[in-house]
Amino acid sequence: MLYSEDLLSRQNADGGWSYFRGGSWTEPTCYALLALAASGMGQQAEVRRGMDWLRRCQRPDGGFAPRESVKESTWVTALTLLLPPAEGFDRARAEAWTVDQTGRESGWVYRLRLWMLGAGSSTDSMSFDGWPWYPGAAAWVGPTALSVLALQKMAKRDGGLANRSDLKKRVDQGVSYLLARRCRDGGWNHGSTRALGYDSDSYPETTGLALLALHGVDDPQVTRGLARGEQHLAVCQSSEGVSWLRLGLGSHGRAALPSAVGRTAKQTGNGSNIAEAGNSLPAMHGGVMEIALAALADAAQAGRNSFLDV
Amino acid sequence: MNPKRPLQPTRRAWAKAAGVAAAGVAAAGTLENCSRPPARVQAWAPVSIYRAAAYSEELYGLVRRMIAEHALDVRGKRVVLKPNLVEFDAHTVINTNPKLVHAALEAFRAAGAADVRIAEGPGHRRVTLDLADAGGYFATVPKFESLFTDLNLDETTKLDLVRPLSKLQSLYLPNTVLGCDLLVSMPKLKTHHWAGATLSMKNLFGVVPGGVYGWPKNVLHWAGIPQCIADLHTLFPKTFAIVDGIVGMEGNGPIQGTPRTAGVVVAGASPVAVDATCCRIMGLDPARIQYLQLSAGVQNLAEELIPQRGERIESVATSFALLPELAGLRLSR
Repeated sequence: MLYSEDLLSRQNADGGWSYFRGGSWTEPTCYALLALAASGMGQQAEVRRGMDWLRRCQRPDGGFAPRESVKESTWVTALTLLLPPAEGFDRARAEAWTVDQTGRESGWVYRLRLWMLGAGSSTDSMSFDGWPWYPGAAAWVGPTALSVLALQKMAKRDGGLANRSDLKKRVDQGVSYLLARRCRDGGWNHGSTRALGYDSDSYPETTGLALLALHGVDDPQVTRGLARGEQHLAVCQSSEGVSWLRLGLGSHGRAALPSAVGRTAKQTGNGSNIAEAGNSLPAMHGGVMEIALAALADAAQAGRNSFLDV
Repeated sequence: MNPKRPLQPTRRAWAKAAGVAAAGVAAAGTLENCSRPPARVQAWAPVSIYRAAAYSEELYGLVRRMIAEHALDVRGKRVVLKPNLVEFDAHTVINTNPKLVHAALEAFRAAGAADVRIAEGPGHRRVTLDLADAGGYFATVPKFESLFTDLNLDETTKLDLVRPLSKLQSLYLPNTVLGCDLLVSMPKLKTHHWAGATLSMKNLFGVVPGGVYGWPKNVLHWAGIPQCIADLHTLFPKTFAIVDGIVGMEGNGPIQGTPRTAGVVVAGASPVAVDATCCRIMGLDPARIQYLQLSAGVQNLAEELIPQRGERIESVATSFALLPELAGLRLSR
């Protein structure tokens, strides 16, 4: 079955997608819509129904909640900004909501406390404004990378960051945050590089995602990140991890894998499309996220990166 | 089911919240007056210490015996087993061993449970099924995928906390655990670089949905880690604890520590008492573990107040190495 067919078969009656089964969530819905658009199905009725579901989920503050029953806008708002423009979707307010978000450690109270304790410096990772998963919490690599990608894409629609100094400031901060949160091994984990003086290891998923957000950044730290990403890819045990690494490495011109054939199996152990193409890669479990990300990685490898291209 | 939970004046409050979840209603439930530990202890439910030399077939009989000894009547009930899955590693001791979880699955089924599920929501890694696969769960538990719920991505219900110990005012929680009749917390016996020890109570961080709060579940850190552990303990009073202490983790736990063989499985219906006993086995003073203080009060953590079955603590005590920063937690005998 083609990825796109598989995604369509998993769409809920309300137009959204769940992670595996059950009610619709914003995150898998965004990735499914992004993948379907990348496969040239952006005008299909199913995609319009998905966008309708998403539109209904926009909250009065302009942001989006992880799902309708959650009464708080969160990091998933950035994902909606990656989608192609659609009528009735108040993109400007979603963008404004995203721009306003910073990690709690960015607040002056916290920074004053660090300064008084002698724990802060102008170069440490606390100096840069990243994005939190949930309002009121600290910034982390995942939401920061996605927000950087979202604001870059919004700026591209307006002719580039040079035309959007408001977005450029936040994007630059986000990029600095990501560079400062690189693990000692060269890659990225969730965002905690050291704990009690001990170095933490990076993860494949977050390394791929951070590299994707750092596309076009010419910095020796990125070069080291690419090397670590390639190491991760060689042993990665997660289909989503492989897809993020393909997206991240590919955005820097690194050929991550031979092109896949766009087919997927529904059950673990049956082998994914990539496995069918002859590579030994992790099995897929039939989740919407892993299917959509595999489709997006394939599309990027074919020359259409939905995270970067307008 | 009749686990004695004398330290939990929360049945009425829990029933109210659980009723909301069981009905599948998305509206907020309320937990009232349930966050303050009583000044005096009456008695803890007994804690059993079993010797287990390895992750062998003997665990299947051990858990059956455990259920019988604790008079857990799960006939017709919904049971959720909550192991601790942290990282991709089949060869170290970072995750609860799948053999013990499978033994519990089989034992609760044999005891007549209507439904037994395995559920977990890791705090750092999002790809839970891949993590479980790498941890040996697919290989050990037949049809694992159909038995497993990723609590990070489960349907949720919002609960408002009245008089919490933490700064949390409310919390979205997964319906799979809110709606079960018995939650079985199955942590690994580990030291923890922030909390001192991570055991059956800290293991409940894994029920907080990452799909709502992210990875890590950082709202809990800002709200106070020990306080949140105590609040989560209060939110789930129908919890039975089975601690995988066959090979635990010492030093820089819960991720970067080193294996430490203790050769025990510790179980009981009072997670505070189980965790206090586990601390003593590891050579930690439970009265110096902040979340245990908050949940029970120091006076209630005395060893003589906890009825012990099976092995004596002294006979299985295994001094776990501690980070220098945690040296003050060491138990002095």
